[in-house]
Amino acid sequence: MPSTLEKIRILGENSKYDICASTASSRTNKYPKLFVNSNKWVGATASAGICHSYTPDGRCMSLFKTLYTNKCIYNCKYCFTHSCSNKMSFTPEEYARTFMKLYSMNVVEGIFISSGVCGSADQTTEDMLEAIRLLRFKYNFRGYVHFKCLPGVSQYLLKEAISLSDRISINSEASTKDFLAEIADQKDFYNDIVKRQRWLKQIRIKHNEEALKLMQDLKLDYKYYYQEKMIKDRREDGYKKFRWDGAPILNGGQTTQFVIGAADEETDFDLLKRIDWGYKEIDLRRAYFSSFIPIEGTPLAGKQAASLAREHRLYQSDWLLRIYHYKLEDLKEVLNEQGNLPDVDPKIHFARNYFKEHGPLDINEASYHELLRVPGIGPISAKRIINLRSKKFKIQSRKDLKSVGVILKRADPYLIINGKNQKTILDFAEYHNELPQRGVP
Amino acid sequence: MSKNKCERDPLEVIGRAKGYSLEDLKINLPRHANFSPILAKQINKLPEVFLRNSGSPLAKKIIRMMREVFLEAYRAKQFTRTEINNRGVLFGVVLLKHRVMDLILKYFHERWPSCIICLYNEDNHKTAIINEKGNICEVNSPLKKVVEKVSEKRPIIPYFEDIQFSGKEIFETLYNSQFILERENQSYFKRMIPESCFSLPGMRNGVEKRFRNKKINEFFK
Repeated sequence: MPSTLEKIRILGENSKYDICASTASSRTNKYPKLFVNSNKWVGATASAGICHSYTPDGRCMSLFKTLYTNKCIYNCKYCFTHSCSNKMSFTPEEYARTFMKLYSMNVVEGIFISSGVCGSADQTTEDMLEAIRLLRFKYNFRGYVHFKCLPGVSQYLLKEAISLSDRISINSEASTKDFLAEIADQKDFYNDIVKRQRWLKQIRIKHNEEALKLMQDLKLDYKYYYQEKMIKDRREDGYKKFRWDGAPILNGGQTTQFVIGAADEETDFDLLKRIDWGYKEIDLRRAYFSSFIPIEGTPLAGKQAASLAREHRLYQSDWLLRIYHYKLEDLKEVLNEQGNLPDVDPKIHFARNYFKEHGPLDINEASYHELLRVPGIGPISAKRIINLRSKKFKIQSRKDLKSVGVILKRADPYLIINGKNQKTILDFAEYHNELPQRGVP
Repeated sequence: MSKNKCERDPLEVIGRAKGYSLEDLKINLPRHANFSPILAKQINKLPEVFLRNSGSPLAKKIIRMMREVFLEAYRAKQFTRTEINNRGVLFGVVLLKHRVMDLILKYFHERWPSCIICLYNEDNHKTAIINEKGNICEVNSPLKKVVEKVSEKRPIIPYFEDIQFSGKEIFETLYNSQFILERENQSYFKRMIPESCFSLPGMRNGVEKRFRNKKINEFFK
């Protein structure tokens, strides 16, 4: 029987390729609180988590990130299960106690629970949920929980997982059915993954609509004081044990993860297309990319590792889709013939093409979306510029632009400020070729 | 921007929400170790816009002081390592040069509302305590004594007894298990945990500093 330390060592190592943010902003004071304001609860979820430690690669390590079990019925080609001969599982009590100990030491901020599929997805999920139930009800932990759903899990278990966690994710691993079949042929892309992702969205929307309605009804019936009192009374009566129905659930949203470079012909465009679909169709909060790293003993052990630069460019492009609301067609222009991103910042690459065609932008006339296409201008500075314009202020110098937070060294070549445009070095080169050489009369 | 200076609200024109509001300054600047009443008078005389714009030396100084205060509080929240005993007393050691102890205590109080929290400040050699009701006091005794005294009156609580086992080894094992060799990036790591943080009490013998340090035997292989 392996000790707890041994389990943490092996199951922790097995989970290290799973990527997650430290603590996604999960609950704010804007909405009714999910938990009662009582002394019995332990833990808190700030709107943005604090990182208590960092690994030597600089990644935040603030979640208790281990697998629940490394026994798995699947034989995904990239996965450690082929190579790991030490198969073990936590017990729910062991898992919960160990986490609470670490939490009391102020070295972790929350939990990230993932697992291999032992027996069946439902069976393993039940065990994982038992550990979370213990944490929530026995140890009264009200902090951050990120629950990784297993492919093919039943809907009723998903519902429970949602009610107990702040963020849920299902790993897509690949962008299409064919690519998934190439690396994990036992998984059914549409049934095991996409269908579950749609369920997550439906469950969340349904609950949050009901919660909103409940709050609106309360507002109609009572004045503010009575509304607060009623919520408090219902909580104190033990209503729904720990959860207040007026509070929105799954505030961290759902996420997904892709393994990059494991499937041979999967391009960056395939991945971006899938992510774009996710943002539109399943309310995906964000996507994670994990560069493929060959593990000895797996069928893909001889395959070359995917470059970390590719992962970085994908994150940059994802940022453009998610935060800057670029269209997929825009990003298409950046891709090379093979459908991959070049090794340049995609925003700068896009801007070079776009502004070459359309000419530089007049800062005082450009729309919000046009401004966002300029490197060095982000959503916040773009909003500030628009805000100033609405108050009839005109930007007349580079200094003004700097004061609103624009990074001038990037933005300069693409902007016209007060009728002037800072030329790029290429422009100078072209100009220089037309002129006689220095010193020649 | 528009030449008509009197029309514009400089705070909006700057638009970066630089600096801190007067209210923030009044609450948080006195936390700084070098704060003086003369500085408070100077601040009160000046309009907010001067303080928000880092153009003047005074504003620069104030912004720097505020940043130092908040950074110290943030680092303490990040890197204070605590222990808990079976009577529900959470304790740890901090090194706070500025007066931010209340912020740190409240942070821990929110996490452990049913515990008494004792933090010993190495800088002034005082132990600060916050009770379940959120009341704060400071005593001149060492941490061990304070924890013993506070624990005396409290019963053994099964909940906390349940998690009475050494966690240092657990954390070390977890930390070591998470590292991916192919991704090692020391410069990024140093940016996230600057050298100065390793002088904080919770980090002095921390696993982060020790990890992958070579042992003398390795040089003789």
